[in-house]
Amino acid sequence: MPDAIVLKGLTKTFGDTVAVRDLDLVVPQGALYGVIGPNGAGKTTTIRMILSIQMPDRGELSVLGHRSAMEAKDQIGYLPEERGLYKRMRVGHFLAYMARLKGDDGLDLETRVKKWLERVDLGDVANKRCEELSKGMQQKVQFLMAVMHRPSLIILDEPFSGLDPVNQRLLRDLVLEEHARGATVLFSTHVMVYAEQLCDHIVMIHRGLKVLDDTLGNIRSRFAPRSILFEPLDAAADAGALASIPGIAGVQQDGEAWEFQMAPSAQPGTVMQAMAAAMPPSRLELRRPTLEDLFIDIVSGESAEAGTLRAAVREHGSAHAGGRA
Amino acid sequence: MKKILLVAQREFLATAGTRAFIFGVLVTPVLIGAMIFILPRMMHNAPPKVVGDVAIIDPTGEVAPALTAYLTADQLAKRRDADYKRLQEAMPAALRSSGGSRVDAALSTALGEVPILTVVSLNPGADVEAAKHPLKAVPGKEAASANRLALIVVSRDAVVPDAGTGAFGSYQIFVRAKLDDRVEEEISDGIRDAIIGARVRKSGLERTRIDTLTRIDKVTSRTVTAGGEDRTNEVLNQIMPAAFMGLLLVSVMLSGQYLLTTTVEEKQNRVVEVLLSATSPMELMVGKIFGQMAVGLLVLALYLGLGVMALLSFASLGMIDPTLIVFLLLFFFIAYLTVGAFMAAIGAAVNDIREAQGLMTPVMMVIMVPWILWMPISRDPNSVFAIVLSFLPPVSSFVMMLRMASASPPPLWESLLSVVVSAAGAVAMLWFAAKVFRIGLLMFGKPPNFATLVRWVRMS
Repeated sequence: MPDAIVLKGLTKTFGDTVAVRDLDLVVPQGALYGVIGPNGAGKTTTIRMILSIQMPDRGELSVLGHRSAMEAKDQIGYLPEERGLYKRMRVGHFLAYMARLKGDDGLDLETRVKKWLERVDLGDVANKRCEELSKGMQQKVQFLMAVMHRPSLIILDEPFSGLDPVNQRLLRDLVLEEHARGATVLFSTHVMVYAEQLCDHIVMIHRGLKVLDDTLGNIRSRFAPRSILFEPLDAAADAGALASIPGIAGVQQDGEAWEFQMAPSAQPGTVMQAMAAAMPPSRLELRRPTLEDLFIDIVSGESAEAGTLRAAVREHGSAHAGGRA
Repeated sequence: MKKILLVAQREFLATAGTRAFIFGVLVTPVLIGAMIFILPRMMHNAPPKVVGDVAIIDPTGEVAPALTAYLTADQLAKRRDADYKRLQEAMPAALRSSGGSRVDAALSTALGEVPILTVVSLNPGADVEAAKHPLKAVPGKEAASANRLALIVVSRDAVVPDAGTGAFGSYQIFVRAKLDDRVEEEISDGIRDAIIGARVRKSGLERTRIDTLTRIDKVTSRTVTAGGEDRTNEVLNQIMPAAFMGLLLVSVMLSGQYLLTTTVEEKQNRVVEVLLSATSPMELMVGKIFGQMAVGLLVLALYLGLGVMALLSFASLGMIDPTLIVFLLLFFFIAYLTVGAFMAAIGAAVNDIREAQGLMTPVMMVIMVPWILWMPISRDPNSVFAIVLSFLPPVSSFVMMLRMASASPPPLWESLLSVVVSAAGAVAMLWFAAKVFRIGLLMFGKPPNFATLVRWVRMS
């Protein structure tokens, strides 16, 4: 079974700006990949190149075993970041039209359109014009447009932006359903919580460069926890005094909680024991770096850890891509 | 191909199914027809009956009696009757028979109601300035007796020439403000007739004899064709080239404009990226061009059908050569593809419709050249200027249509060569448009100029 997406040395420039630089990426069939990165990192350009909406200046790509997405457009579902609908068109007609454009012209299309609309709590809007829908409703319609024709590859660019928590959950469930059906899902986001909740593999792009490409588990295990969260039992107590315990490199107060940074050589167990002995805690927790921490570290590029992380990621990422190739 | 047809179908329905289109393209001709029917009825009662007097200062004493006789109600009615018959004869037979009473009503309206005029002969030595005074009265606010319509002052030597110079004198006419021009014409005709009559009498000649000798009825020519001969219809001969070119221009520009608008809307609505995930840029562009071509064909068929029906009612359908209609369709496809491709490219390149105007203006001015020059081209369709323009895309299709529908159409080889050259122009424009369309659709920000478009073509 060929990989769903293979990118080799993909580069795209706009004038003097390099939007994507020498990007290598392999997305196996059936995977659920999250592409993260700050605004302007090159995520959307990468997605547009995968879909052959924009052509790369250099590099090779393969989508669902084809040399270009042009040959596999009917097997791909796409929700672009820039949402768009025909304002004057009726919702049911719009969905049916887009499904037909994707090669899905089964006799039961109208019925399926209705069922899908009901599935996202929009059963009564089929005859409404698209412009009559709220922004959230329009986004759900656009999501249906991406998945209705049962594609093998689903690409979602910032699918959760602009949705309320209820609809974010609904959309997340639908994405997981599609993934469970066997579809390969690639989505971009800068909401790290969703990337952590949904994806089994994370790719991070920053300034056109891939700086992270690994499974979520590997990322967590590779970047060992280096800080301890402490809340004293006596809320009025000054926990800052614990900074003198050997192995503690720094401290930061956040409300009632205190975050202690461990020195590189410190053993977490020893340090935590010493802290508990010095001051009774109501909460004592070894804090793992979240994806958001990694993201901010890499994007800000200020911490020493970020440099180490980037080097490690590059080494690991190239080994990963090399292994696939 | 299936995707192209799907895009074309949506494009057609989204344009031709709107109320604005149905009203603008379908209802407007109906409204014009209705106005033609209703207006004469509205105008029928418009001109009020004119009643008043015409004062004359006649030192010769020869003119006033003849003017009185000329302006009697009987004589006025007789002349109206003669004019009415002359107009009826000048009218095409088909219209005369199909129009019936409406035509009679229209003719009566054109001639107006017979005025009641009283000639008042003033003292030959009367003061002219004092005699003008009643003309200043406001109509309707004065007594009926004060309703002076005109004052005529005849020169002393109007009938008998001046002894010294041997030249005849003339007359002066002063009229009330807002006097109906038909009444003024009647009075002028009357005084001229009276003076001529008096001069003839004084010269010892017989008026009726002179009238008979100098009168030749105006005749119209008859056009001889293989199908027989018929009265030459000069009006239709002049209108026909402009009508054919206008039909071509309206259908091409209308559908081209729609194509521009829908492309800009798709880009503004951001729906274009969704479409590009389902179709290639080429499929999208071709589908859109085909869809609007169907809109243009609908407009063309509608107006052509109306024109053919109008000619049928005038029993003048024979004036149109069927090959002309074939060429009209052929030039429609070519001209539309040229203009449509350009519009698609502009629509894809700009961010909103205002920006499009800036890019379109120079090209629109070029395309309007045949419309501005239709008169000189149709009068001399084989001039060097007309021939050169008929081989220069994008105006070639329009100019050749104008020449072909004129009274001296060009030889067939010229028409065919123009088709080939125009088609080559259309292919070049489609090539240019395809490249601009692909890049422009996803470009947002600074409004592009022609240099930008050329750079995009090189880039792709």
